[in-house]
Amino acid sequence: MQSSQPVGIRKYIIYFLFLFLSGLLTVVDYFSNKSLSNYIPNQINLISSFQLPETFLQNELFNLSSNRADIVAENIRLKEEIIDLRLLYIENQDLKDDIESYDLLIKNISDFELTYYATGLILKNSTDEYLIAGGRDNNFEPGDLVVNENGYIVGYLGEVFNDYSILESLDSTNFNFRALDENNNSFEINSNGRELIVNSINMLTDTKAKTIYSDITFGHVSKFPFLDLETYEQKITNNRLSITVEIKEKLTFQSKLFIPKEK
Amino acid sequence: MKFLRLTSITFTLFLICLIEIYLNTFTLLNFGVYIFFITLVFLGVDFFSQNNAISIFLAGLLYDSFFSTYYLGLYSAIFILVIIVANYLVSQYSKSNLIYFVIFSVCLLIYKLPIILEFSISYWSLSYLLSLVVNFIIFMSIKKIIGNNV
Repeated sequence: MQSSQPVGIRKYIIYFLFLFLSGLLTVVDYFSNKSLSNYIPNQINLISSFQLPETFLQNELFNLSSNRADIVAENIRLKEEIIDLRLLYIENQDLKDDIESYDLLIKNISDFELTYYATGLILKNSTDEYLIAGGRDNNFEPGDLVVNENGYIVGYLGEVFNDYSILESLDSTNFNFRALDENNNSFEINSNGRELIVNSINMLTDTKAKTIYSDITFGHVSKFPFLDLETYEQKITNNRLSITVEIKEKLTFQSKLFIPKEK
Repeated sequence: MKFLRLTSITFTLFLICLIEIYLNTFTLLNFGVYIFFITLVFLGVDFFSQNNAISIFLAGLLYDSFFSTYYLGLYSAIFILVIIVANYLVSQYSKSNLIYFVIFSVCLLIYKLPIILEFSISYWSLSYLLSLVVNFIIFMSIKKIIGNNV
C-alpha cells in the first residue's frame, strides 16, 4: 500500500495544493468581508441541534424491571412521574437562578428602557474565545455589549450566527474597546491576555480617570460601567494617560451574562 | 464508495475536533488535552496518505466556519502544515522518542500559531510546555498500546 505512494517531496504535492487552496480561501474571505466563512453557519442551527435527548436524563431509570405486570405498570407510572418532577425541579432551579441574577442585575443597572437577554457560555474555542447562546434568533449583532450580573461589561459580540455568537471577552485575542470616563475623555482598551492596556485617545481634562463607561458615541446601546481605574497606577506622559489593569476575574460556565438590546 | 470513505473520515475528524473543544472547555487547568492534534500527528507520522489531504482540509473548513473568528482556510492550512511537518521530520530522521518529542514541539507551535502570534511569550509559554508534556505522554501511551496490539 505504502509502496504505491510517491516518495520524497512529491508525496506532499496534494497537501501543498490544499495548502494553497486554504490560502486562496483566506484571501477571498478577507476581501468578501467573511461572507464565505459565515455561509455554512448561516444555513445550519448548530447549537439547537445538540440538545440533550430526553432519554439521557431518564437513563438511570432504564434498568427497572419486574415480572409482575401491575408492578411494571406502576413502575412506569412512577417513573414518568419522577421524570416529570425531575424536569420540573431542573426548570425550577434554572428559573430561580435566572430570578436571582435578574434581581442582582436590576440593582446594578440604571437603564430600564432596554431588554436584557440572558445568555451563558457554551464552549471555548482553541483561541480562548467563548461561544455563547443566542444569535440572530435574538436579533444579536456584532458589537453588542455583554454585561454580567453587576451590570459591568465583560465583552462584546465578535461574530453572530443563527443560534450562537462568539464573545470577545477581556482575555480574548481580538479584544478592542472604546470607552469614556466621567469627564468625557476617550479611552481605547486592548488586551494582552493577562492585562488590559487602557490608553487615552484625547484628554480634555488632566484629572485621573475613575470609572470608564461604554457610550452611544462609540455605537454602544447605552452607558454601562466597564472598569474602575481608581486603584490602579495612572501614568500621564505627553498628555496621554496609560493604565495597565490586571484581568482578575475570568468567565466561568456558571457566569450569568446579559445582552442589552433596544426594545 | 470513495465518497463515503471521504465523508466518514471528514466527519470523524470533525467529531474528534469537537470532542477536543468540549474537553478543553471544561478543563480549568493551565494546559489543553489536544486529542485532535494527537490524531493529526498520528496521521502524519504513522498513517500518512495523500488520500487524507482532502478530509483534513474539509475538517479545517468546518472548524473555521463554526468555531473560529479567523478567516476561512486558516485552520485548514494549520492542520495540513502539522501533517506535512510531522511526516517530513519522521521521514528525514529515525523514529526515536527524541524525534517524536521534536515533532510534537514543532507541530504544537504550529497548532497554537494564532495564539502565539497574538500574545506575548509569557502568556502562552507555560501552557504550551505543560500541554506539550501532557499530550506527548498521551501520544506515546497510545503508540505503545497500538504497538502492543499489532
